[in-house]
Amino acid sequence: MRFLFLLTAALLIGCGSNGGPDPELAGLRVYHHSADGAPTSLDPAQSATAYANLVVINAYDTLYSYKYLARPYELKPNLAAAMPEISDDGLVYTVQLKPGTRFIDDPAFPDGKGREVVASDVVYSILRHFDPTVRPQGAWLWQGRVAGLEEWKAAGSDYDRPPDGLRAVDRYTLDIRLEAPYPQLLYTLAMGYSAVVPREAVDYYGREFGLRPVGSGPFRVTSYDTARIVLEPNRNWRWRPVDLAEEGYDPDTQAFTGIAAIDGQTPPFVDRLMISFITDSAARWNSFTKGNEIQYAGVPVELVDRVLASKNPVRLAPKYEARYQVVSDIEAGFVYSAFNMADEDFGYHPDPEQQARNRVLRCAMIRGFDWRRRNDSFYFDLGVVFPGVIPPVVPEFDPDLSLDSVTRDVAGAKRMLAEAGWTADNLPTMTYGSVGGVRSRQFYEQFRAWMMEIGYPREKIVLKQFATFGDLNKQWRESRLPLISAGWGLDYPDAENTLQLFYGPNGAPGSNSSNYNNPEYDVLYEQAAVLLPSPERTRIYRRMNQMLIDDCVAVTGLSRTRIAVWHREVLMYPSANIVGGFFLPFVALAGDNGILERAEPARLTLN
Amino acid sequence: MELLQYSLRKIATGIPLVIGVTLISFLLMVYFGPDKTYELVGKNPTAEQIAEVRAELGYDQPVAVRYLDYLRELVTLDLGFSDSTGERVSAILARTIPISAAVALPGFILGNLFGVLLGLFAAFYRGVWPDKFIMAAAAIGMSISFLIVIIAFQILLSSSYGLNLFPVRGWDVHSIGDYVLYVTVPTLATVFVALGYNTRFYRSVIVEETTRDYVRTARAFGMPAGPLYYKLILKNCMIPIITRIMFSIPFVVISGSLLIESYFGIPGVGKVTYDAIVTGDQPILKAVVALTAVLLVAVQLLTDIMYRWVDPRVALK
Repeated sequence: MRFLFLLTAALLIGCGSNGGPDPELAGLRVYHHSADGAPTSLDPAQSATAYANLVVINAYDTLYSYKYLARPYELKPNLAAAMPEISDDGLVYTVQLKPGTRFIDDPAFPDGKGREVVASDVVYSILRHFDPTVRPQGAWLWQGRVAGLEEWKAAGSDYDRPPDGLRAVDRYTLDIRLEAPYPQLLYTLAMGYSAVVPREAVDYYGREFGLRPVGSGPFRVTSYDTARIVLEPNRNWRWRPVDLAEEGYDPDTQAFTGIAAIDGQTPPFVDRLMISFITDSAARWNSFTKGNEIQYAGVPVELVDRVLASKNPVRLAPKYEARYQVVSDIEAGFVYSAFNMADEDFGYHPDPEQQARNRVLRCAMIRGFDWRRRNDSFYFDLGVVFPGVIPPVVPEFDPDLSLDSVTRDVAGAKRMLAEAGWTADNLPTMTYGSVGGVRSRQFYEQFRAWMMEIGYPREKIVLKQFATFGDLNKQWRESRLPLISAGWGLDYPDAENTLQLFYGPNGAPGSNSSNYNNPEYDVLYEQAAVLLPSPERTRIYRRMNQMLIDDCVAVTGLSRTRIAVWHREVLMYPSANIVGGFFLPFVALAGDNGILERAEPARLTLN
Repeated sequence: MELLQYSLRKIATGIPLVIGVTLISFLLMVYFGPDKTYELVGKNPTAEQIAEVRAELGYDQPVAVRYLDYLRELVTLDLGFSDSTGERVSAILARTIPISAAVALPGFILGNLFGVLLGLFAAFYRGVWPDKFIMAAAAIGMSISFLIVIIAFQILLSSSYGLNLFPVRGWDVHSIGDYVLYVTVPTLATVFVALGYNTRFYRSVIVEETTRDYVRTARAFGMPAGPLYYKLILKNCMIPIITRIMFSIPFVVISGSLLIESYFGIPGVGKVTYDAIVTGDQPILKAVVALTAVLLVAVQLLTDIMYRWVDPRVALK
């Protein structure tokens, strides 16, 4: 025992310090942040997760990107030279590419020198989503929208014969022809899915392309494993002086970050960009508070009460305020539970009378659900509860909508059940599917308790747990569960992205896992789908939202608030939302004498 | 010659073991493992796209065909690509196993070494306070969750709330100094937990050995305690000690330590295996299972040979 103690002491003394600066990083400006999950693939065609998207849009170019600071979100040209020319009928988009953009040097190219990015690369990158051998995940963005894609796929996915709907007119000009107007198209061209890849690299690396990004984005990946990814600036990228006004800077809400210092300066302001993947929140927080490893992280939910002095507005406790900046952001998405309308016990039924009773049952269950307590128990009362499926983050959100559907009314729910003839004996069994885990179990227990209060027998709310989200998702996609409790992250800031979750033709296995099938709703969806943002479109969106509320299709919803903290020495205004990683090219480290001073690598004073 | 014959025989008898293990684990993966399909399809898939993904994953093939493919992959050492990342499985293992071994070995060696020493010490003082103290400490070590130990060591030694002597996490190893820096806290946590189990096991083995006639005879002849314990008793305890150590090796080398690797952000095979289990990444799981089975057969052979080495009376038959 004594020997062990001595050995331990010797090791401690021998090591002496907490790691010290890595000699390789000496003199470099290193920005280091943490994420609570890791990307599995950096192939844009497989960048389905936020973790992958964050890296992909920094390693690759997209035609458009989001302005760094503009809220609500606004697009700007990125690889595209300007916003597209759109034909009068809204069916043809012509996009000019900026000439002179080059892919990074890589062995995939002849002589290892990256070549220029041209319009046919954009065509190739989108077509990959219609090639099953790629295992793509973004086809849904363009299928049935861009002319000829399905036919191209059916004809054998020959990249040398692109479809008419997606054509490189010349070296720098791209034509996209649509089957019907698709106002959300530009948003899809800012997503990681549409990032531009070189065919040579895909051919060269084959299945391992997802590990070896060869892009033309602002950064290049220098190492990547399950624990960390390291990027360094692509010095050949189109860096230009920052124009904060153009990026949507709002001094009233953003001046506290100190980012005004970068106005007029030319990025990159860092020499290395590191992202550590730390799933455990305690380890992530320890690493962050230590300061020399992580400079930006989210606040673990279990620490919110300790870290925050106030929640509205979000303010850090004095202990942390001196060292850290904080920003809170309502998520671009929401959590909800939708009924499976294909389930005859809760949804549609051949007998109209029973179908009407089922609607009453769903409405009563919705009334029994307590969003206020859900928010308090699991989201530290920071979430925003709203009726329907149009969340606060999109412009079509209606702040004046009645809150009845998200206000608990136990007596009313009981009355509704009694009037429709529902009793403890004839209520159907509700199988509550979830992924195994303490939190999921707590969600279930809380749900069951609320349902018991409106008269549901305890034994009729049954938990069915699955090992992985994939298995649970399979059950939803195959319509085997009566309730789908999920979260939806918006792909773009347009309510169409959430309303399509209930569009009939998107029924399971599509995104409409609830199998809601209302012809009137579908007609409205199709009408709105071709409209540009306008009061008319907003009116239709809101009408559809009201139909979902009236039909009691879903227990919805709540948008969570994300809190991000970062060391004061880092100048940035981060966002984990739709704009994802578009803030990373602007990140700067503040030394004592200005943002461009070369400091010790990420070594911060934490007195 | 006898050794060669024995080795060949042992390897031959190991083949059914490998087939059995791979078959059972493969069936478990197929029938009870996660279905990867729905993690690979997009947000709004059609039935056709789902079928395409299933075909890409090979799920549409009969189980027997898939198992034969698995065996062919093992024989040809072509382990395929990860379904999640697309990386070659052989490359993943080649990259992560050395890291896991580097992380686990110091703790494994120290845990066993100190376990034997403390076991000897406790056995020597059997029934009196040093023995009781060591056994009580071992019980405490065994009772505390590994997770708690990891977090406690991390906070105590690595965080700004504690001594802040070591990195909280990561694996930036470019020199021996880096290695010591990154491996110390995981090693201390591992030793803290392993020591309890090891000490109890080795003490019981040693105590049982002290009741043998030859020990009583040696004592009667006035043999000093030191040589008696180190030269006679310890040597005669080597078979159970070797058995315990050797059969732990495959799991140390291949399986790594999920908790250690997760909490310290170490990109080892334990984390990769865990991720493969929860995401249903069958190519990785198949490789890890097969490799563990093969290593077990090898360790079994090596263990038998070592038995003979420490005790020539053991026959290789």
